[in-house]
Amino acid sequence: MKRTSAFNWVMLLLSSLVLLFILAPLAGMFLHTGGTDLLNTARDEDVRMSVWLTLWVSFAATFFFAIGSVPLAWILARKNFPLKRIVLGIIDLPVVLPHTAAGIAVLGFISRDGVLGKAADTIGLTLINNPAGIAIAMAFVSVPFLINSARDGFMAVPERLEKAALTLGASQARVFFTISLPIAWRSIVTGFVMMFARGMSEFGAVVIVAYHPMVAPVLIYERFGSFGLNYARPASVLFIIVTLTIFILLRLVSTGKKENKLSPDAEA
Amino acid sequence: MLKLENINKKLGDFILSDISLEISEGEYFVLLGRSGSGKSQLLELIAGLTDPDSGRIYIDGEDVTSHKIQDRSIGLVFQDYAIFPNMTVFGNIAYSLHCSKTGRSEVNRRVHNIAADLNISHLLNRLTTNLSGGELQRVALARTLITSPKVLLLDEPLASIDASLKDDIKRLFRKLNRQGLTIVHVTHDYREAVSLAMRVGVIHNGRIIQSGPASEVFSKPVNKFVARYSGIRNYFRVRFMNEDGTWKALCDNSIAFVMPEDKYPENGLMVIRGDSIKIHRDEPTVRPPNCFKGKVSEVFPSEYGMEVTIDAGEIFYVDIPAEHYNMLKINELSEVWISFSPEAAIALEGNG
Repeated sequence: MKRTSAFNWVMLLLSSLVLLFILAPLAGMFLHTGGTDLLNTARDEDVRMSVWLTLWVSFAATFFFAIGSVPLAWILARKNFPLKRIVLGIIDLPVVLPHTAAGIAVLGFISRDGVLGKAADTIGLTLINNPAGIAIAMAFVSVPFLINSARDGFMAVPERLEKAALTLGASQARVFFTISLPIAWRSIVTGFVMMFARGMSEFGAVVIVAYHPMVAPVLIYERFGSFGLNYARPASVLFIIVTLTIFILLRLVSTGKKENKLSPDAEA
Repeated sequence: MLKLENINKKLGDFILSDISLEISEGEYFVLLGRSGSGKSQLLELIAGLTDPDSGRIYIDGEDVTSHKIQDRSIGLVFQDYAIFPNMTVFGNIAYSLHCSKTGRSEVNRRVHNIAADLNISHLLNRLTTNLSGGELQRVALARTLITSPKVLLLDEPLASIDASLKDDIKRLFRKLNRQGLTIVHVTHDYREAVSLAMRVGVIHNGRIIQSGPASEVFSKPVNKFVARYSGIRNYFRVRFMNEDGTWKALCDNSIAFVMPEDKYPENGLMVIRGDSIKIHRDEPTVRPPNCFKGKVSEVFPSEYGMEVTIDAGEIFYVDIPAEHYNMLKINELSEVWISFSPEAAIALEGNG
């Protein structure tokens, strides 16, 4: 039998330690949470409402921001313009900001004195302590994941395919919708899932914009602050189960599709 | 039919300069050049994918320089075919018809017709990911031909095709051309030009350095670069001198070649095609003007038959048919005589 070298043993040991570091706290939390605790928490109207709120607000934020982010990603992948590197830096900015600081920035923007807040006020909408405000805070910190992933997707589309489509009489818009978008689709979906997941788990920016209505991360924090670890733990476990399930489902849907998904143009 | 007039285009460090070409209707024009010589960029300019900095492009007498790509009636088949991976073969071929909002039954009819013409009917419902190079080539051709282009541009169409399929594809190009389609074919391989072209243009560093009928370009290359492109490997740096009314080309090591009547510069190159040189096993009884004794140093099978390398003071590469080689009963280290007629010697200016 081939002997495993000492080097490989060391690499394996170090890797295992890191994996253990990630899994141990989660496993501990799951083991400390009894079935009845979990069931009671699942029956708790506040918990259910907050999990539902987190899911739909994050999904809505991702969906609406995708409408502008996908074209932005395409421009960044295909066009060269002055200060492009600075634009790329700006897009990554929310990822490196402390999230509470990001929340403060968003709050200034959507409060009644802010640009967006004033605009919303004219149609009778208050963004603070409102799902719309939460969506904006979530999007602010998570939209870079969508833009960057979609940009990678568009960059991987060979330009020759787009040129070939143009020589075949397609308009630029047609080339985008029948060639670039379908081929970059997988990366866009991956970015969508990442943005959605990142939005759901956001605490820092959201808590500053809206303590109520409570998204799940805020509710967990509130339970911990008011009642302690034992009360916060079942809510955490429940939220993790829900988000993991959704994450795995979306991943399966996006990677389960055949490598070469047929576009409508492919119909015989 | 297709006319380029003083086209100039700067692409980064590379410049296409002063390109003028005229290609008549029904012509098969081959543009020869190394990779990086600007030939693919020239095709993109003709197709309208990029605009020239100056100069005009005419199709059927109409100035199309500022026309949109979609309005030029030019078909371009890319070197790697640029087949859409997200569609079936049918979807690829029907793409242009969908763009022009052609009715469903008409799309079906036309796609099936062209697929039958190109022998790819059995592939129509297949995805394109596991098609062979030859199949992809036919799909790309069908996709372009269905638009009924006035000119078909082919960018290195045989570069990624198995040798066994090349003849099939060449036959197909000839058939399309015989049916009246004007074809501009870009390649780095002179053999494609020899077997397909009516006229040839040689492009180097963004300039067309020679163009004309294929036979003329290959028999009278204007410089060493073109000569090399026509498959010539025998070059000799020479001094031209007239000796009692006969022009001779003197090599550095004092071999003298007899040249045909012409005007010559003082210094230059003498080149000769490998298939213009004859090999004799014994000394010819009547010695022709250019006859030298040498020794066979290498023998390789080649496309032409055999390539025999002979050291006769200078190295000569001689192409002879295999049967002829077998009849000569020579092998490496054999002593032989070589000869060629003065008319086969080509003089070039410059020192290469």
